[in-house]
Amino acid sequence: MKKNGRGIATIMFGFGYGAGFPDHSIASAEIEDEGKILIRTAAADVGQGVLTTITQIAAEVLKVKPEIIQIIPGDTHLIKNSGSSSATRQTFFTGNAVKEASEGLLSNIYHYASIEFRSNHVELGIKDGYIFRNDNPNNKLSYWELAEKVKESGDSLKAEASFFPRTDKPDPNTGQGEKIYVAYTFVTQVVEVEVDTDTGIVQVLKVYTSADIGKAINPQNVEGQIEGGTVQGIGMALMEEQVIKEGITLNPDLTGYLIPTSMDTPRFATRLVENEDSEGPFGAKGVGEPATIATTPAIANAIYDAIGVRIFDLPITPEKILKALKKRETENKIGKKEDF
Amino acid sequence: MKHKIRFTINGEVKEIEVQPNKTLLKMLREDLDLIGVKEGCGAGECGACTVLVNNKPVNSCLMLAVEVDGKEILTIEGLSDGINLDPLQESFLKHNAIQCGYCTPGMVMSAKALLNRNSHPKEEDVKEALAGNLCRCTGYKRIVDAVLDAVKKGGGK
Repeated sequence: MKKNGRGIATIMFGFGYGAGFPDHSIASAEIEDEGKILIRTAAADVGQGVLTTITQIAAEVLKVKPEIIQIIPGDTHLIKNSGSSSATRQTFFTGNAVKEASEGLLSNIYHYASIEFRSNHVELGIKDGYIFRNDNPNNKLSYWELAEKVKESGDSLKAEASFFPRTDKPDPNTGQGEKIYVAYTFVTQVVEVEVDTDTGIVQVLKVYTSADIGKAINPQNVEGQIEGGTVQGIGMALMEEQVIKEGITLNPDLTGYLIPTSMDTPRFATRLVENEDSEGPFGAKGVGEPATIATTPAIANAIYDAIGVRIFDLPITPEKILKALKKRETENKIGKKEDF
Repeated sequence: MKHKIRFTINGEVKEIEVQPNKTLLKMLREDLDLIGVKEGCGAGECGACTVLVNNKPVNSCLMLAVEVDGKEILTIEGLSDGINLDPLQESFLKHNAIQCGYCTPGMVMSAKALLNRNSHPKEEDVKEALAGNLCRCTGYKRIVDAVLDAVKKGGGK
């Protein structure tokens, strides 16, 4: 028989290394030849989209089209440390470093332009890579023309920034601290499952996600992270298990270690909550790891809702479900009170 | 001893000599420089190396190069004419159906094979056709959406 159930789980996730570890990111922005603006960052984009995110941030601050932003990715000869692409930290850390570097560059653009135009900052306007006096917008200088003039004076139009927030080590006795992580991401998921009580197979039908990610700089990327993380959570809940015996992994391949396929993917309904409650760039927080955490407990709860049996051992395989159902049946027969 | 084989690759006839134990995957990548074909597991489990041989999707890591003698191969490099992308490729871009991108060439080729045999697949058909192509990043939703959108736009012809 097929039984349906619903489960919910809510998580909060402090991202970045936190707990007083020195965690920072350095980036620079400079006016480059051929109509480009160069951003130097070592942030590694492994598909999560950090380079898209920081391109958007730089373009937003410098008021240019994203196509103008060029990124030099990781190269230890040319670029300073941006820290790892881990701990859900790059949007927050490198996003802030790039934002500050871009703001620094913008300040320099204003500074040198004010000398050129013999004007005050507040009397200057900026649009599409041009700077001009508000009282005479036709007499404008492009960022690149300005950079040439700055170069002639022996200087260059660029800025570097480091984002290095403070976090505190928790008190060893109480575990408490004023600021253990830079910020927290909150995610609630409701999962609908269908459990086949004859085979023990669980199908995840639909996942509703509400994620407070501060600000979605690229909503499509954020949703992509949530969907990908959720399906990893489905794997953790239902199928993924590294079997180790005497130090040897018995299933070191994708035939023995199963991960979700397109057949396991549910329907999604995702809502992004843009609360802007942190010091992230434009209020953005990290979404990578938080996307995967709520799914597994929500599925376990949904299975309990569907069949009334609680399974505490992951992954919740068909064998475990059938065994638990059988145990309950036997206990019911001998009149033992159910104890879940 | 090397074997001389002759086949059509992305519309071009090629004749080369290959070792009898060389896989199609290695020949494509090492001899023909078609590095859009990815090696994932190398054991037929992940689908990253999917190419079309006589219009059917195969794991090129499991096929010997000598087996393609007289056959027609299509890889990801053969989908675009150099100017215009294939509707499937366009659709993958539009739907952000790519994260790290490693599974993408195989995904697109499996989708292409599906559209070759069924020009109006339903969602379930798409999911089934892609079930042999593993993706760890996207959760598959955007990939399935991309294929269905390409169908809607006439990508299945």
